[in-house]
Amino acid sequence: MDKKKGHPQRGISVYSYENLLGRTMTLEDCFQEMYDTGATCFELLTSYIDNYPNPSTEWIDKYWRLCEKYQLQPAELGHWAENHLHRGPGMSDDEMVEELKQDFRLANLLGFKTLRTKITCVNQICDPEPGWQSYIEKALPYAEKYDVRMQNEVHLPTTLHTPHIRDEYLDFIHRTKTCHFGFNIDFGTFQYRAAEGMEHMPWSFEDVTKPEEIVDFLPYSFSCHTKFTNVNENFEETTIPYKEVIQLMVDNGWSGNLLSEYEGPLRFSAEKSPENFAAAMEVIPEQIRRHQIMMRNLLGY
Amino acid sequence: MVEYQSIQQRGFHNTYDENGNISGFEFRFVPNYYKGLWFTQCRFGNVTVDGETFDRDDLIYEYDGLEYTREEMFDLEKYWQFRTPLTIRVPKKDGLAIGYHQIQLQFGWVLNYNGALEQEADGSGLGNMSHMFGTDHERKLLLCR
Repeated sequence: MDKKKGHPQRGISVYSYENLLGRTMTLEDCFQEMYDTGATCFELLTSYIDNYPNPSTEWIDKYWRLCEKYQLQPAELGHWAENHLHRGPGMSDDEMVEELKQDFRLANLLGFKTLRTKITCVNQICDPEPGWQSYIEKALPYAEKYDVRMQNEVHLPTTLHTPHIRDEYLDFIHRTKTCHFGFNIDFGTFQYRAAEGMEHMPWSFEDVTKPEEIVDFLPYSFSCHTKFTNVNENFEETTIPYKEVIQLMVDNGWSGNLLSEYEGPLRFSAEKSPENFAAAMEVIPEQIRRHQIMMRNLLGY
Repeated sequence: MVEYQSIQQRGFHNTYDENGNISGFEFRFVPNYYKGLWFTQCRFGNVTVDGETFDRDDLIYEYDGLEYTREEMFDLEKYWQFRTPLTIRVPKKDGLAIGYHQIQLQFGWVLNYNGALEQEADGSGLGNMSHMFGTDHERKLLLCR
């Protein structure tokens, strides 16, 4: 018998508008843009919460009004499990658990069921700093209490076959049998060639994640970043095998959140000149719109 | 809303003491980074204006209406809100002349991913993110008062 097809939600990460947010766009402007695309859910970063980590009740009311007005559901809250925030040695497990609890509570208050949890790591391939299992395990009961799922982001140059993915993260999930820890698989991990205007990026594209590798990880994945660098006028991303990956997700019954995340050349150069910033004001919202049309074409809704 | 440059022109002016004499100048700074930071992870360097360097420990940092020294900021358990300027106040007898000035500022932080962790755990340096984002900021600003 055929597996039941999945029905992923089409969403957007507010991070995509980061270069413009607070400069030429308010949070409401971002919501208005997202509504225009037909997206139904979104990712916020904790940093975009006014007066983080203690938003006012006025801000929280405004936030829910925006969700309602623009018909957008909270999907994922991007946050950080950083343990080197002070001079001297790293933070203790208890301090880390408090840091995590604070974000779990906020996520719960703002309606997010999934988190992109950035665990402290020690190199470009994102090997986690030894000892992470200890504080994450201690935080699991609170993740359960606040009904959130932490997700490690698998982000280029990390692949799904980078050793720490199975040896550490997957091993942790199997050992603890938790459903409150998993993976946000950033589609950049499937990128097989440099994007136009980004040829200088320091990593190679020879050993990237192959589409079929995603299947083993789908049971542990709740929200993914549909990363893109450039969508052309025909609504195609030509450096990432979108069609194959989405097909695998749908065919394997995955119904999580797909969150458009722009990381094209202007993301890294908008502030370099008035000309670049003017271009970013036009190109970034347009790129996100193009990507959403591409996702609509791929998903059929 | 802030300007897209990290060193803001809005807020750049001489400062005056209680007698109305010029005591220095100030400008505002907002990191270009995509997220906010805890002040405890921030590392501030010197300010240089038209080639004259002002030591980081002589500067006053004002955030949310309160003033801090660089040393005090290491213990400031406050989140530097995204796209929120920090005022940097520089004591200088007679301040700056009306006209254009080249402002330079060093700023870094302890990044908890994408690189080796901070080597100088005493906070003496500029953190561990310079390989990705650099620590030098520079802008030509026009002073009117």
